[in-house]
This record gives sequence, structure tokens and C-alpha cells, in this order.
Amino acid sequence: MREINNKMLQRLYWKRKEFMHAVKRFDRTQQFIVLFLTLLSVFMLLPIVYVFNHAFKPLHELFQFPPTFIVRNPTFQNFIELLSLTQSTFVPASRYMLNSIIVTFLATVGMVATGAICAYALSKHRFPGSKLIFGSIIASLLFAPETIAIPRYVVVQSLGIMNSYFGHVLPMIAMPVGVFLIKQFIDQVPNEMIEAAKMDGTTEFGIFMRIVTPMVMPAIATITILAFQNAWGNAETSTLFMQEDAMKTLPFYMSTLTSNLANSVARQGAAAAGALIMFLPSLIIFLLSQRKVISTMAHSGIK
Amino acid sequence: MAKILFNHVYKRYGKFKELAVNDFNLEVEDQEFLVFVGSSGCGKSTTLRMLAGLEDISEGEIYIGDTIVNDVPPKDRDISMVFQNYALYPNMTVFENIAFGLRLRKVPKHEIELSVKRAARVLEIENFLERKPRELSGGQRQRVALGRAIVRTPQAFLMDEPLSNLDAKLRVHMRTELINLHKKIGVTIVYVTHDQVEAMTMGSRIVVMEKGVIQQVDKPENVYNKPANLFVANFIGNPPMNFITGRLQERNGVLEFHTNRFALRIQEQHAYQLRNDHKLVDRTVIMGIRPEHISFEEIALQTCEHSVINGVLQINEFIGSDRYYHMDIGFPKMVVARAHPRYHFDEGARAAFALDMNKALFFHKDTEKLLTD
Ligand SMILES: Nc1ncnc2c1ncn2[C@@H]1O[C@H](COP(=O)(O)OP(=O)(O)OP(=O)(O)O)[C@@H](O)[C@H]1O
Ligand SMILES: [Mg+2]
Repeated sequence: MREINNKMLQRLYWKRKEFMHAVKRFDRTQQFIVLFLTLLSVFMLLPIVYVFNHAFKPLHELFQFPPTFIVRNPTFQNFIELLSLTQSTFVPASRYMLNSIIVTFLATVGMVATGAICAYALSKHRFPGSKLIFGSIIASLLFAPETIAIPRYVVVQSLGIMNSYFGHVLPMIAMPVGVFLIKQFIDQVPNEMIEAAKMDGTTEFGIFMRIVTPMVMPAIATITILAFQNAWGNAETSTLFMQEDAMKTLPFYMSTLTSNLANSVARQGAAAAGALIMFLPSLIIFLLSQRKVISTMAHSGIK
Repeated sequence: MAKILFNHVYKRYGKFKELAVNDFNLEVEDQEFLVFVGSSGCGKSTTLRMLAGLEDISEGEIYIGDTIVNDVPPKDRDISMVFQNYALYPNMTVFENIAFGLRLRKVPKHEIELSVKRAARVLEIENFLERKPRELSGGQRQRVALGRAIVRTPQAFLMDEPLSNLDAKLRVHMRTELINLHKKIGVTIVYVTHDQVEAMTMGSRIVVMEKGVIQQVDKPENVYNKPANLFVANFIGNPPMNFITGRLQERNGVLEFHTNRFALRIQEQHAYQLRNDHKLVDRTVIMGIRPEHISFEEIALQTCEHSVINGVLQINEFIGSDRYYHMDIGFPKMVVARAHPRYHFDEGARAAFALDMNKALFFHKDTEKLLTD
């Protein structure tokens, strides 16, 4: 343990040294830009700090004026309240959470997998109509989500997947941004590498899994973050396709907490705790895959 | 190990069905080191890729051993390929890169270990087995790519310009290594290059291609000394062969090569062929002469008095062991002579030089084929 700590300290030390060296080589304007960006990033951090503190504030602190930034008497009261709250339909908050976890998991895996496979086919295989398909995927980026809500509803209804996890996952699974971004990366993978794998005896799926995917990990990590955030924060499928309360997800529940006028004051605490719970997984996923993004970018032998 | 046979192979690309490979007929002998050479875009890679199975064959058949492989997928053709940019898998170690093909063929673990170690020993990359490709130099990567090819002991190796990413010195080194490797493991190699020095030094036979058509298939010496046509004569050799256009004229029973500036006496055997076999007296032909068959030696000037030309030196290039003399003899193209650097003429000076007419080659003006041998 100590050894690891020492190593990390040493590395930090070198990092700092490198950084100072780099800064010294900068001219005035560059130094100013570094300073400015540093301040800006501190400023960007404020909402995160605020969310964390807010969730632990007791009720009176939540309504204090002027509002405080840092919590004085931290308490878990808000979380207890959130969990013990029950909708009029007697569905507990934990049920929403479970739904959210299942839906988010399925949708994220689905989005990344379909996106990557689609991107691979579009990038490395020539088949009639491939350009048209790619073109229409790009074009679909231009539509506002509202414009496709009704057609989507019709599709989901006629598939008979209302009030099921499928109803959550399927509408989300097509992710044009993902296809686009991963395709840009796969385009960079030299054809020879794929041909070499073919000569080595790999199947098409083997090429995709063992050659292409490891090489486009940065893109996949990025898309995983995006997909996760989309799925985790998505209240739309709950509102549109789920009539049964037991099938709805956390974001939907969150939106009901504060919108119901009668209880909106009393539930501020639960809402604050809920906001943190909503936010936390995104942060964790981001931190995890961000490291992956950077390390794969640095380590990938793509020349 | 097996023979490879191309039987009237064609390749057409794209909407307009342009021919990239045109009526390709070739037999590659077992354990042969065959080199495809030609200018850029002449169809070398396409031919190799059809053999590898990476490109469809538009027409004709390719045999490996006794089987037609037209519809056999690459992995079942039992050949391996080395690519110009090595195409190593960046996410795997050197060991994994070499072992990958064996793994997929479900070779037992200890055998994989053994084969990889053996290949690594042959190529002297034992010390890098745990590294990732990005941690290797160009030459080492090259050897890993070779290792990946030889570890499977396939029927044949295909190599598409494997040395062209290396610096000049390393390229020469790897050239000898490849020749040695070929001797050691005695496998059929089909090698693509646009570098004629590589082709000459490595190939047991050379295939010269242009515009998808085979121009000549022969041993390096024959390709150099008896090029089948003007293209080959011009392509092989550096500096390239000199070409002079002139008429064949009979004078006092001797056949002479006339230009409007000088006449050269044609050597007896060539004269016989031109006169009797081709009946080209009083017709225009193209004479080719290699730079090293032009001499400034006093003795040559005296003995070959019928083939001495005067010219004005325009440029002289010193390249160490030799010097290239670019002589203006009153034609748009200069004649290049290659001689010992001790002859030093000032640029613009007149000099007489003798052509070794025994070594001169004559080509048909229209068909561009070689007329003499
Ligand atoms: N995928 C393709 N689609 C259309 N035309 C192609 C394709 N690949 C090659 N060609 C054409 O076929 C011809 C032969 O190409 P090829 O790659 O075999 O040349 P090469 O002899 O290997 O040249 P180089 O020495 O530059 O590698 C070229 O004219 C090229 O433009
Ligand atoms: Mg090529």
C-alpha cells in the first residue's frame, strides 16, 4: 500500500514538474489562457459541489435565504424521506430505481452494441445502399425528438411492447450520434489490419470483437457515457409508453416530486437527494470511462 | 509447399470495368522466390490480393497446388501475407500477434508456445515477445510481421512491398535477411515491389508488369540482358538504357545503323537476325545500349572505330564508384554513359566515346519487341 502511495506521489511530482516546465515555455497570452481556463473549470465545478451539498441539507437549510452553498449540519434525512415516500399508487421509490437500473443497463448495452456493429458494417463493408443508409442516419440527427414522438408511439403500440422493458429500451436503441462517431474511428483502422486478421483465420465477428473494437475503444467509451446519460435521464419513454406506474423509471418519479403543487415544499428535501442520486451514476461512469478514453487514446497503436 | 498457377486471370474494377489485371498467365514453382515488379498502379497488388483471396477474380482461375481457389476464403487457402504497413494488431503483444493465427486454428497451447518461440528465434525477436508493436522500431515490426507469416508454415508467403517503409540501410539488411529466410525455410514466396534493385537481388525469377499485362517473366540476368521489349528495357536498370532511333542500311555488305548524325556498324550476328529473320533493312528501328556499355577508354576508341560517337558533356554525376556522364549527341534525349570516375571532362567539353555494339539491343519501332539476342 505504502509503495503504491509512494509511486503515485512520485508520479504526481513528475507530472507537476512537467506541467511547470510546460507553463514556463508558454508566452504571455498562453499563460493567460491557462489561467483563464483553470478559473473557468473551477467555476464549472460549482454546480457539482452544490448538488452534493444540497442533498445533505436539512429542510430549514434548503429554504434559507440567502441560500448557502456549503451544508452546515449534514444529514441523511433527505434520503430516508425519498425512500419512504410512496406515490398515490403505492409504488415505492425503490421500484423506480430498480426499473431505472434495468432499463439503463439494457439500453446502454443495446445502444453501444448496435451503434458499433452498424458503424463497422458501414465503414468496412461495401454493399449496395450503404451510402444511402449512412446518409439517412446522419439526416436523422437533424430531427428534433418531438417531431418523432407520435410515429414512435404508433410503432411501440403496434409492436405491443407498451408497459414492458422493451418499450423503454427499443425506442432508445438507435443512436445516430453513436454510429457516426464510432464510424469515424473505424474508418481510421487500416484495411490491411482487417485483411491480416482474415488471413489469420478470423471470422467476421471475431474481427469486430478482437481487432476493431479494441482499436476504437476511445469512441466506444465516449458513446457509453452518452448512451448511459441518455438512458439514465430519460423520462420520455415512461411518460409516453408506460401506463402502469410500476414500470416507470426514476427520472419520471423525480419529475413528479416537485411538480405536484400540494407537496412541492415538503418534498424539496427528497428532490435534493434524488437529484444527487440521479447525478451520481453519471459522474461515476464518466470518471471511469474518461480514464479509459485517455488511456486507450494514448496506448492505441493507431499511427 | 505447392505450385501456384494463374490461368488467364482478369480483374476488372468499378463501374467502367477497367482492367487492372489483363490475361495473367503464370506458373510459380514450388519453393520459388518470385518477384512482381512494375511501376505504380500496374496491378501487382491486385494480382497478389486475388491470390490471397482478398479480392474477387473477375475471370480465369487460380490454382494453389491442385485445387482451384477462386471461391476458397482467404483463411482456407493456407497462405500468409505480409503487408506494406505491417498491419500488426496494436492491442496485442508481439507474442499474441504471432500466435493469433495458431490460436484461431485451435493449435494446442504448448505447440503454440513452441512455434512462436521458434519463429522468434529465426527472426531474432525473442527479446521483444512481451512488447506491444508500438514499442518496436520499424525493422523490428517488420520482423514481427514476418513472424506472423512464417509461424503457420503455410503453402506460400505473399509479401506486398514489405520493405518500402524502412530506411535505405535497414532495407538492404532486411533484403539479405529475407533471402536467408527463404533459404532456411524453403517456402514459395511471391513478393511485390516497385524497387528494381530489390527485384534483381531477391528474385529467383522476376515478373515485370505494366498496365496489368505481364511484360516478361525470367531470371534477373535475362530480364536485364535480354529485355523482351522496350518497356522492360527502360524499366530495369539505373540509370536506364539509352535509346536511339535510326535506320538500318546496307553498305558494302555491312549492315549499319544510321542516324542523321552518325552511322554505327552492327555486329555480325545481330546483322544476320535483323537482315534475314526480320527483314528490316532500310527500315527504322530503335537501338538500346546500357550506360555501362559506353566507354571512354583509349583502347575501345581504337578497336571499335566504327562505333565511336562525339558528344558534348552536359552533366556529370559522381556517385562514388562510378560517374554518370550525360552526353549531348544532338538528339533531344541525352545519352548517359557510366564509367570509371577518373575521366574528368568539364561540362561543355567535347568527348569521343565508343559503344560496345556486341551489347547493343535492337527493338521494333512499332511492336517495341526485342529483335536480337
Ligand atoms: N478497390 C479498387 N477500386 C477500383 N480500382 C482499383 C482498386 N484497387 C486498385 N485499383 C486500380 O487498379 C490498378 C492496379 O492497382 P494496384 O493496387 O494493383 O497497383 P500496384 O501495382 O500495386 O501499384 P503500387 O506499386 O502503387 O502499389 C490501379 O490502376 C488502381 O487504380
Ligand atoms: Mg501495391
